[in-house]
Formats: sequence, C-alpha cells, structure tokens
Amino acid sequence: MPIPQTRNIGLPMMNLLRFKGLPILQQLHIEEQLLRTSSENWCIINDGTNDPTIVMGVSGKPAELLEIESVLRDQVPVIRRFTGGGTVIVDCGTIFATFICNKEAVPDLQPYPRPIMSWSSLLYGKVFQGIGDFHLRENDYVFGNHKFGGNAQSITKSRWIHHTSFLWDFDVRNMTYLKLPKRAPEYRSARGHLDFICCMKDYMPRSTFINKTVEATGTQFSLRSYPLEAIETGSETEFYPSTRFLTDEELEAAAAAGQ
Amino acid sequence: MIGRRISQTRAWNAGRRWLCPYMSSAPCPIPAAAPTEECGRHFSSYAKAPFSLTNNPVNFYIPYVVQRCQFSSNAVADLPMEGTVDVPLAQTGEGIAECELLKWFVQEGDKVEEFQPLCEVQSDKATIEITSRYQGRVSHILHVPGSIVKVGETLVKMAVEETQVPSVIPNNLEKEKPVDAKLNKYSTGGVLSTPAVRSLAKEHDIDINDVQGSGKDGRVLKEDVLKYAMQKGVIKDPSVTATATATVGELLHGEESCSYGSAEVAGLYEDTIVPLRGFQRTMVKTMSMAAKVPHFHYVEEINCDALAELKASFQTNNTEPGIKFTFLPILIKSLSMALSKYPMMNSCFNEESLEVILRGSHNIGIAMATPYGLVVPNIKNVQSLSILEITKELSRLQQLALDNKLSPADISGGTITLSNIGAIGGKFGAPILNLPEVAIIAIGRIQKLPQFTDDGNVYPASIMTG
Repeated sequence: MPIPQTRNIGLPMMNLLRFKGLPILQQLHIEEQLLRTSSENWCIINDGTNDPTIVMGVSGKPAELLEIESVLRDQVPVIRRFTGGGTVIVDCGTIFATFICNKEAVPDLQPYPRPIMSWSSLLYGKVFQGIGDFHLRENDYVFGNHKFGGNAQSITKSRWIHHTSFLWDFDVRNMTYLKLPKRAPEYRSARGHLDFICCMKDYMPRSTFINKTVEATGTQFSLRSYPLEAIETGSETEFYPSTRFLTDEELEAAAAAGQ
Repeated sequence: MIGRRISQTRAWNAGRRWLCPYMSSAPCPIPAAAPTEECGRHFSSYAKAPFSLTNNPVNFYIPYVVQRCQFSSNAVADLPMEGTVDVPLAQTGEGIAECELLKWFVQEGDKVEEFQPLCEVQSDKATIEITSRYQGRVSHILHVPGSIVKVGETLVKMAVEETQVPSVIPNNLEKEKPVDAKLNKYSTGGVLSTPAVRSLAKEHDIDINDVQGSGKDGRVLKEDVLKYAMQKGVIKDPSVTATATATVGELLHGEESCSYGSAEVAGLYEDTIVPLRGFQRTMVKTMSMAAKVPHFHYVEEINCDALAELKASFQTNNTEPGIKFTFLPILIKSLSMALSKYPMMNSCFNEESLEVILRGSHNIGIAMATPYGLVVPNIKNVQSLSILEITKELSRLQQLALDNKLSPADISGGTITLSNIGAIGGKFGAPILNLPEVAIIAIGRIQKLPQFTDDGNVYPASIMTG
C-alpha cells in the first residue's frame, strides 16, 4: 500500500479499481459483490466495455423498453442489473464510473437517492468546471439540455452504490434498439434519442476525463490503487450476484406477452 | 484521563463475507439463466422476478419514520404493551411520491431484528433497502413485488414486543407526527396516555383525566400517576412499582407463614423493580459493548495557570454580552489543535474490516448530564471554529439538551468525546469509549494545589487532572 500523502491524512480510504474494456456483466458482478460483501469504499472506472450490450434496470420491462425483434435478430446481449433506473446500450465508447461507499464515508451525506445524486454532481462539477455548461438535470448529467451520462443507485442498510455510464462516444445505430421509455425525465420533452443525448468526446478527451475524475475523488477520499488480480481471482463464488443476461426465451416470452 | 482503543490497520483481504440476507428467500419458478461464456466464469444465478407469498397475512403497526440516520428517534413513548404496528413506506427523498416494491427479504412469521432489512424498493434510479425500526415478528405483508406503493402507505404489519424504544435519546423531531397520532389513538376523553399508564391508574382507582400530565403535550406519564396517587394518599411510596412480595407480618411477629401486608406497610420494606427504559436501557447496551473494547488509560495532572489567565482575559475583554466564558470551549479548541497533530486520535474503528478510518473533521462530542439522561452532542468541524464560535455552539447544544430537543445531526457524527467530570465536582474519572470513536478524555475539576519548585519552595497552582 503506498504511503498516503500528508494532505490525505484524515480522509476516508477508498480503493481505486481501473479497468479497460472489461465486459459490463463482469463489472456489474464485481460491483454487486463489493456493495454487498465489502465494508470498504470503492471507486471503479471501466474505460469502455467490449461488445455492445443493452443494460436494463432491475425492474425494466423488455417489451416496453426494447425493440425486441431487432435485439433478437442481431443477437444483442441484454443484461438486467441490480440497481434501479433506466435502459442504456453500452459499448467501447462508454466510460463507466462507480462509487461504492459506506453510509458514513461522506460526512453529513444523507443516504437517500437525491442527496447522493447531488453529491455526485458536485464531484463531476469539479471535473467539468468551465466546460460545456455541465449540471445535474433531474437524474442525468447534461451539457446544456443534452444528456451524456446516466445514473443508477442502490442503497442498502449500511452502504450505497452510485454508478454512471458516460457516453464518451456512441454508435447512432445502436440507439435504434431502444424504445422511447414511458417514464422519462421532464426535460427530455419527448425528444428521440439522437436529439436528447450528446457525446462527451466533443468536450474532453477520454484520459483527461478519467484522470480528472480520479483527482476530484482524491479531494474527498484517500485513494489507493487496488490490484486487479486480487479482484479477478478472488471469486470463490460464495456470493451470487443477481445481475444476469436475459435469455432469448425470456425476451421472446416478453415480446409475446407484450410486457 | 484518556481511554483509548488499541488497534492495528490491516489490508483488505480477498476473502468474501456474505452479508446478503436476501438469499434466504425462496427462488421463484422462472428458470435460472446460465451466463454466457463471455464472462469466463460460472456464476450460478437465479431469476429475479416477483414471487408470491404463501403464508397468511398478519396485521401489525409500528410508528415508523425514516430519519437522516439510523439513530434518529421518535418522541418518548411507551408503545402499546402488545404492539401491532404498521410499517409504512417512509419518505426516501424529497419529492418521491411512490416506489415500486422489488422484493421481500422476510416472510410472514419471520422474526426480525432492529435494523434488519425488510424489503427492497425502487424509486426512479435507486433501489433502496428498507430496514426495520424495531425488533418483532412479521405478521402481514401487504404488497407483492412489482406493486407500486405510495409513500406513507403501509408496507407490512409487525408484532412488536412491549415497550421498544429507539437507539438513542428521544427528542422532538418534525417527523414525529405519526407517533403522536398513535398516542392520540390511545387517549380517551382527551387525556394523552398509553395503555400501560392507564391500567396503572385503574389499579390505584384513579381517574386518569384528573392527573396532571408532565410529558410532551400534557401527556400523562407513569410518574404523574404515582405522584397523584401519593398525593391522594393511595400509596405511601411513589417509587414502588412492583407488586409486594416481602411480608411485614414476618418481621413484626416473627412468623414463618407469609401474609401480604397492605400496600402502605409493605411499601416500606419490599423490593422495588425499576425497569430500564429509554436512555438507561440504551446506555446499558452501548456501555456493555464499549466495555468489551480493550481500554488504555492515561492520567496526568496539568498546570492550568495559563488557562485560567486566558479565561480571565476573555472575560475582561468580553465584547459580547450574554456570553459566559468557561474553560470548556478553550479546552475543546486545544483538543482540536492537538488532533491536527495526532489524527489517529480522531478516528473510528471498523471492527468488521479491522480498519481505522481517520476522520477529516474534528467533531468533538461533549458529554452532558440532563434530566433525561446522559447525552453526547458534538460540535462539528471544531478545526474551523474560533473559541467564540465554539462557545456559542456549546451553549446552543447545552440548551437543546436540557430541553430534550437535540436533533439526530447534533448527536451523530462525533469523532472524539470530552467528558467534564469536573462539572459535577469529580477530580478524575475512568471514562468508557463512545464507540466507534477510539479516544475519550475526562477532565476533572481545576483545583488550587500546592506545587514545589526545584529548590523546594511551595507555590499555588491551578491543577486539573485529565
């Protein structure tokens, strides 16, 4: 463990995990496991995932959210994750950033969705200071009124997770797999995907974003890099994550049932 | 005197601990999906889908209010002796009107501990675990997973044992309306009280409406009934709460057979049972836990002449009328300055992960004895406050403590505690840690004591033991 800088004394510890191209299912499994079984604070950054994958929230209904026919035809994998929130399609142009914290980790932070969302927006506010009119709009990170980052959370008895998928870049064709959701933020105003979202690449290079995020996190936590080998090999599978792929059969059944 | 926890840091190991209680629920019949080869590992998984409950629903009611932290509390209330309580979906954030119920972690008939997760709900982007306020048994689950529950609607009903009280000091909070409503329910003829107190009044043939209530909103408490009964001459000794078992007859006549004396006579010699409630009950629990921690004690006598001079100079140069200067704020600020040098003393210990968390803020707790019990509110961020600001904040907290109006924020988040034994006349004490803090300081009274110079001359000095 590196010796902490003098200025870090007094800050709560946080482990930093940095991945590149880690499959999103694996990332979500790691996150769920750390949320439920670790008692430490974590920051996880995954610079792009491998294949385009659809990731739905815990209670998402495929028929409402996806163009199931195209999804099945093109064999796009669909994951149901353990946190709430909406549906995204992620690929190598998506940068993921996750915070997993004990309830007392951030002083005076109430462990509820809005306060945690606000806290995260202040942190990213530092990252995007002076750039592109960044702010938190309802539950999304926007430049102006275009969304470039979507959030989801899970709050347990003594911990919480807040994870974000940032659209550093995206393939316009992938968006066609997603329907316009029934529950949408007000500011979306019924805009289609392409009118509603934007890319971060127009504002900031990838590495700059990641470095600035780590830096901003370091102002509140004493970060220490965590060896990846310890995470990847440590899966003795006592823990069973709930995040999983939906099977073709499930998707077909959902399409048939119209739900 | 400084009591300190001895601890070591330990690197996080790769072992996994399974803290997830929800695995105990039965999986539903939807076939489990096998993960694809892509992830390169086999995780057995189970379908996350609504499952139906098979047991009979039961109804219980708990006045349940979610506060900012788990250590918030409701007003002092003797909850019904046989409590059936409603657990509503509590407010999970401003503006959130409803949540989707995702899954239950408990089934009807299950025993539930305080703070045990009951269910998981989803609002917008967050899944949230709802934990139980009280210990009890699940009697009736009112919603199935997938249903939308409005904030305030009852989620589940629970059987609660006896008088369950919250973890810390009762105080007045904005959100205590539900509890008051519960009390109102039990008042007939306009007098606020609880069944336990009413039956006590009945026992002594007292009309509870005649009793002057000294509790909040004029609530009639046990003590009020007993005092009234004493005034009326019904009972001699108001501290008698238990039934008489000793026999005066035996003592007076030396007979072996038992005979029950009248309440008046028996009151002089019988045992008194004092059930511990509220503060005292909590203190037993927290102090027992703290007593298990290895304590290191260090005592020193400190020359406080300079301190006395400083206080005197504050008083003479006092620009703020109405501010009384005492030693305590100066000591609090000194403590903060010392903590900047020794941050390990301003930390908290995580027993599960064997980790010491060095806290950034100096939130110094001050132990205060109030008529309601011992409370430890803390002054936040002392490192950024001046002595004058500390004095004002201390005074604010002291007033709130006396009025029993401290908020959850006032009593949580402390990083180190200062206990002023001197205020009640002691010279030194052996304090017990206020977990999860690692250090506590007890300061005694400042006394004028003779000291010796190197060449044997005696001079007076202000000495404090700490």
